[in-house]
Amino acid sequence: MKKRTIVALLALAFVSCISRIERDPGILVRNLMDDPAHLNPYTNTSAYASQVYAYIYESLLVADNTTLAPKPWIATSWEVSPDGLSYTFHMRHDVTWSDGKPLTADDVLFSVETMMNPKVDAAAQRSGYKDLDHVEKIDDYTVRFVFKRLNFRAFEMAGYLTIIPKHVFGDGHDFNTHPANFSPIGSGPFVLAGWERGRYVNLRRNDQYWNHEHLPRLKGIQYVIIPDSNTSFQYLKKGGMDYSDNLRSVQWVRQTESAKFKERFKKYKFFPPGLAYIGWNEKKPFFADRRVRQAMTMMLDRQKIVDKLQYGQAMLVSGPGYYFGVSYDRSIQPWPYDSKRAVQLLDAAGWIDHDGDGIRDKDGVPFRFELVYGSGSPTGDRVGTILREDLSQIGIDMTPRPLEFSALIKMILAKDFDATFLGWSGGFPESDHYQLFHSSQIDGGSNNISFSNKEADRLMEQIRATIDPNKRKELHYMLHALLHEEEPYTFVYLPPALAAVDRRFTDVTAYPMGFDITEWGFKPVLRYME
Amino acid sequence: MLGYVAKRLLLMIPTFFGITVLTFFIIKLAPGDPALMRVQMQGMGKVDAQMAAQIVEETRKLYGLDQPLYVQYGKWMKRLVTLDFGESYADHRPVIEKIKEAFPITILLNVLTIIIIYVISIPVGIFTALKPQSWWDYGSALLLFILYSLPSFWVAALLMTYFAGGDYLNLFPIMGISSFGAESLPWYEYVSNVAWHLVLPIVCLTYGGFAFLARFARSNMLEVIHQDFMRTARAKGLSEWAVIMRHGFRNSLVPLVSLMGSLLPALLGGSVIIEQIFSIPGMGRLGFQSILQRDYPTIMALTAIEAVLTLLSILLSDLLYAVVDPRIRYGDD
Repeated sequence: MKKRTIVALLALAFVSCISRIERDPGILVRNLMDDPAHLNPYTNTSAYASQVYAYIYESLLVADNTTLAPKPWIATSWEVSPDGLSYTFHMRHDVTWSDGKPLTADDVLFSVETMMNPKVDAAAQRSGYKDLDHVEKIDDYTVRFVFKRLNFRAFEMAGYLTIIPKHVFGDGHDFNTHPANFSPIGSGPFVLAGWERGRYVNLRRNDQYWNHEHLPRLKGIQYVIIPDSNTSFQYLKKGGMDYSDNLRSVQWVRQTESAKFKERFKKYKFFPPGLAYIGWNEKKPFFADRRVRQAMTMMLDRQKIVDKLQYGQAMLVSGPGYYFGVSYDRSIQPWPYDSKRAVQLLDAAGWIDHDGDGIRDKDGVPFRFELVYGSGSPTGDRVGTILREDLSQIGIDMTPRPLEFSALIKMILAKDFDATFLGWSGGFPESDHYQLFHSSQIDGGSNNISFSNKEADRLMEQIRATIDPNKRKELHYMLHALLHEEEPYTFVYLPPALAAVDRRFTDVTAYPMGFDITEWGFKPVLRYME
Repeated sequence: MLGYVAKRLLLMIPTFFGITVLTFFIIKLAPGDPALMRVQMQGMGKVDAQMAAQIVEETRKLYGLDQPLYVQYGKWMKRLVTLDFGESYADHRPVIEKIKEAFPITILLNVLTIIIIYVISIPVGIFTALKPQSWWDYGSALLLFILYSLPSFWVAALLMTYFAGGDYLNLFPIMGISSFGAESLPWYEYVSNVAWHLVLPIVCLTYGGFAFLARFARSNMLEVIHQDFMRTARAKGLSEWAVIMRHGFRNSLVPLVSLMGSLLPALLGGSVIIEQIFSIPGMGRLGFQSILQRDYPTIMALTAIEAVLTLLSILLSDLLYAVVDPRIRYGDD
């Protein structure tokens, strides 16, 4: 019996050997959680498509890997009008689409007009450009963006706009269902080489790329579609792919420690913009007082959360700005975990157990509230449990309540919640907190916690209207200090991006925002399809 | 008989309406719609309510979601009559195209699964019936029920880690139904490549199905075994094998026909969990994703197809009864 089993296993191993297929070492194989619905940057609704079309389409400017500041790309230079409302970009003359046609000012104009057309399924993208008045063509290689009001973000909005080809999309075919959504023509370093739904998307180097200096050395990228995160982790471990940047902390710290793994892969960590926070609804009787919000922060053992849930990999922060950007003052330390000070603050704010039932109260209202968060978030569950435990020690009754995401959004937009644990990732390195914290954004804005502070309002208005980056930095620092004091959110942590890359790739650098694979080279090491 | 079939077919129409109306309204009742999904995608906290409202309003208008539900349903039905399932909200592709891609993969998996389940569990059932209350009967029942109660996501994860992962045995591929680039292999290697990929998913899909069918076959056989004609068969000197196979087994198959009814829809409905874990782009994953994305046209198309198949297969198994069992007659009274 035993012999037979061994023979059977050997036979299987044999079968598995004969159908092994060699892989081109110049092609980077990585995972994607879901099929891109299509590769149109304007009508895109999937978070994954942008990871593919980012290499196909380009914009006037790109962010510098190290400084994160915009630098020339398709535009070589620009001028800002004295009123700060119009931006004129001078474009290179030698930029071509992957089909050989030149990229001109007409394409930029077409991109803006398309995005602004209400028939185009791009409401989300449109909403980000509501300050844009219009775009003018000065000549074939010069465009001017004119904005309605002062906004320091305007320059980046214009510079980072994705440019799509007019000669392809302007053929009269309906934009939303355009065939080019599935066979894009871009100006970027890679072109689409193959796509099988639910299995893979292949990009090939654009050998006619206009930017010879930045022509990638990699021959291509293969995106393998793996929806399950455990499966993609196993697939990485067995060597089916070369790259992953969405490893969980436990995987990155504990499950990739074998000599075999380390021999094959190098691990990297970086911190793209993001934030995990608890928002305190100030419309509720408990959280209108700054002292209570501070006390709440001091009751939340953030270090423990990071150590236990993130294996120490996340970074504690003291404000909403991006830690590696210009709007974060690194000298401001997060509030300590200190229940004694929290109790003093709560007592001073008048939240005392008057009726002796074990729960603090004020004006007859017991301190009893709900923390809502997205269901299926293990972090939310753990944060809820840890905070509940600690709060119960000092006479506050908190109930964690997970909700399906759509229901959660509805509740938050309706401001019908006490406190919420949320997170976001992505976005610009220089933060604009106007929408989140300006008092004018309480009604009809995204100041869902109804935070209102005159001094903060004034600072945020000034930041928006200040074009000089140095002056703006000063204002950002003042705002950071103020928000740290006011604590409208409990700023919990900046989540890390945890990655592993096959060692056959050379010149790999982890920048704060991620990798730049157009810099990478490779050693010709043989790998197999798994 | 023909009259009966015609009557049953006509009765299907209101049933079909009932199913689709119910589904249509239930999915609309679920919180969130494609428009809210657009907001979610932008990331909470980065979208203000004004922006959110604008996104929601514009998207709803574009998809006609701002109209009353009965109007939306009417439009859907009108298109369905011409077999047009519409365009997916997720990527603006025709829904029928997405189904055509997922369909063959799921059919392949399910045909293999069903064949394996039947081939293994019916003999097991028959043989346990021959020696009821023996250790073999109890032992196999225990084993099958243990298998039945193991959750497939757990088994899949274990199999993956121990037989397909990078840490232990690395015998099987971990995902998909063929290697990338396998299309360029000669046909026999391509077939073995696909077969090799199918081993783990098929194991996960089959092991839970044995128990029910084996117990079903066992109880049918037990019923037959004590019938008079079995004794007669033995009395006229037939070998035990001929008695069991020709007289016993054949007669025990009659109730199995009723199970055929569930086969047709089962062929089409993919397994969400297994397809998700093994990255197999079949019908289960398509349905699951379209629900998550609130992709109404795809959900409705899948429901409509499943509904028609279920209704047809119920009719089919009723008719098959009459074919295998001469005591059953339809429409002659």
